[in-house]
This record gives sequence, C-alpha cells and structure tokens, in this order.
Amino acid sequence: MSETGHWVYSIAIGGHGFSFNLDTIFTMWFAMLVVLAFAYISTRNLSIIPGKLQAVSESLMRFFWGILDTMIANDNKKHVPLVASLFLFILIANLMGQLPLRIIHLKNGELASPTNDLNLTAAMAVIVLIYYVGMGLKKKGLKFFLHEFSFTGIIMFLVELLEMITRPLSLAIRLFANIFAGEILVTVALGVFAYLLPLPVMLFEILVAFIQATVFMMLTIAYVSSATGDEH
Amino acid sequence: MEELKTISDLAQLGGGVAIGFGAIGAGLGIGFATKGLMDAISRQPEVSGKAFGFFLLGAALSEACALYAFVIAAKLVGLM
Repeated sequence: MSETGHWVYSIAIGGHGFSFNLDTIFTMWFAMLVVLAFAYISTRNLSIIPGKLQAVSESLMRFFWGILDTMIANDNKKHVPLVASLFLFILIANLMGQLPLRIIHLKNGELASPTNDLNLTAAMAVIVLIYYVGMGLKKKGLKFFLHEFSFTGIIMFLVELLEMITRPLSLAIRLFANIFAGEILVTVALGVFAYLLPLPVMLFEILVAFIQATVFMMLTIAYVSSATGDEH
Repeated sequence: MEELKTISDLAQLGGGVAIGFGAIGAGLGIGFATKGLMDAISRQPEVSGKAFGFFLLGAALSEACALYAFVIAAKLVGLM
C-alpha cells in the first residue's frame, strides 16, 4: 500500500507533456457509473406509489430541496443538478476508499477513492468557482463585480480578490487532505496491529466520507448564495 | 556527508513542527465547538439533534485546518 504513487501515464501532445493518473481516472469512472446507474434505475419506472429505489431518490431530492430552501432565498431549485451531483459523486467516491479494491494489484499505485488525488478535487473546486461566478453574472450582470469586490478601499479589494483564489483552494485541499490523511491513518493502524485496530479507523472514515460530502455541498451552496444574494 | 544530509533532516524537522502547530489550532477549534455544543444542549435540550449536525460541520471545518498543515508536512517529509 503506497501512499504516494499514482499510476502515471505520460504523453506528449503538441510538444507539451501531459500526465494522467490512470488509477484516479478508473476509480472516478467507477464512481460516475454508480451514480449514473442509480439515477437511471431509480427514475426508469416512476409511479405514484413509489417503490424502494424511488422512495430513496425522492427523499434524497427532498433533502437537497430542504437545504437549498434554508440557504438560498428564492429561485433555488435550479441549483439542484450541480449540488446533487457533487454530493452524490463525492459521497460514492469517498466511500469507495473503504472497499477492498486494493486487492487488484496495479503496476504502480492502487485503486482507492479517487478523491485522494488533488487533481480531481481541484477540478471540482474550479467547477464550483466558475458556476458561482457565472450565476452571479447571470443574476446581476456586471454589477456582480461591484457587489463582490466592494470598492471601498484598495485593501478590501485585494482581500476580496484573494478570497476568489482561496475559496477553491480551500475546497480542494480540504476534501483531498481529509481522504488522504484517512488512508494514511488506516495504513498506520494496519502497521501497528493489523487484525482489529483498522476497524474503528475505517468506521471513522465512513463518517468522514459523509461529513466531507456534506461540507463540500454546503460550502458550494453558501458561495452560490453569497454570489446571487442581494445583501452585501 | 553530514552537510549534505542536513537539509533533508531539517525538512523532516519542519514537517514535525508544521503538523504540531497545525494540530494545536484544530484542537482548540474542536474544543470550542464542543463547548458551544454542550452549552447549547444544556440550555435547550430539545435542539440537540440539530445542534449536533452543525457541530459536526464546524468540527470538520476546523479539522481541515490541521489537514492543511498535514499536507505541508507530507510535502516536507516526502510522502507526496
């Protein structure tokens, strides 16, 4: 079990070197497949009296609607696609780290949760940044920048500008570091006493998976709310 | 030989210092969060379920600060 290595595939396109972490890509596809299959199967035969899967998906939607209602004042249903897909994808991806996928040996690296790669979490954080800036521009036009960067002084402007960078940075590093540290914690527990000690740590990691998915979703909603809200 | 090894040794030391100071802040943060939860529950026991959800959120947010330090420490000692 190596904490460091990813299965890196390097390729040169047009004179620039690109490298892909293949293990992250495979596990990300697996998580996407699980989410897509759940979405497809649970909405295939919709009926008035819901079956089990439909009841689960309906309560999930009610959960998202409830959170959006409490945090964004009006016209909040249109944010459900981004918020729900982020939450479900991150949750499935985090929980995959506790599956025994590591018994499939790769040449380098391992098949663990894809969110232990900074590239994936940074991509999601940048998507969130683009989404809330776009939503703010769509709602307020160019006045969004007047609201976002309160031009009261040069210091405040610089602080607000810095916030635009630190928000996706902290989103990305928070999720990545939680999952990465959890895997190292499991490794350390395995090294200390391999038969019983990793179990409570892994249970804690399942809790962390739920909490981190919720935190990512809540912060996304808070950023969208502050970008589209009228107050400031 | 000794001089060549010092920089990586100092990086190991720096990793230890980084995670140590980071853990101080996160420990204080989670402690304050727990204090707030206990205050809220002892004042209004009926909100305990809702307050616990917010407590978990805040604890996760302040725990993340220690994990930023952990990333720096992992960079320094060469884990990543």
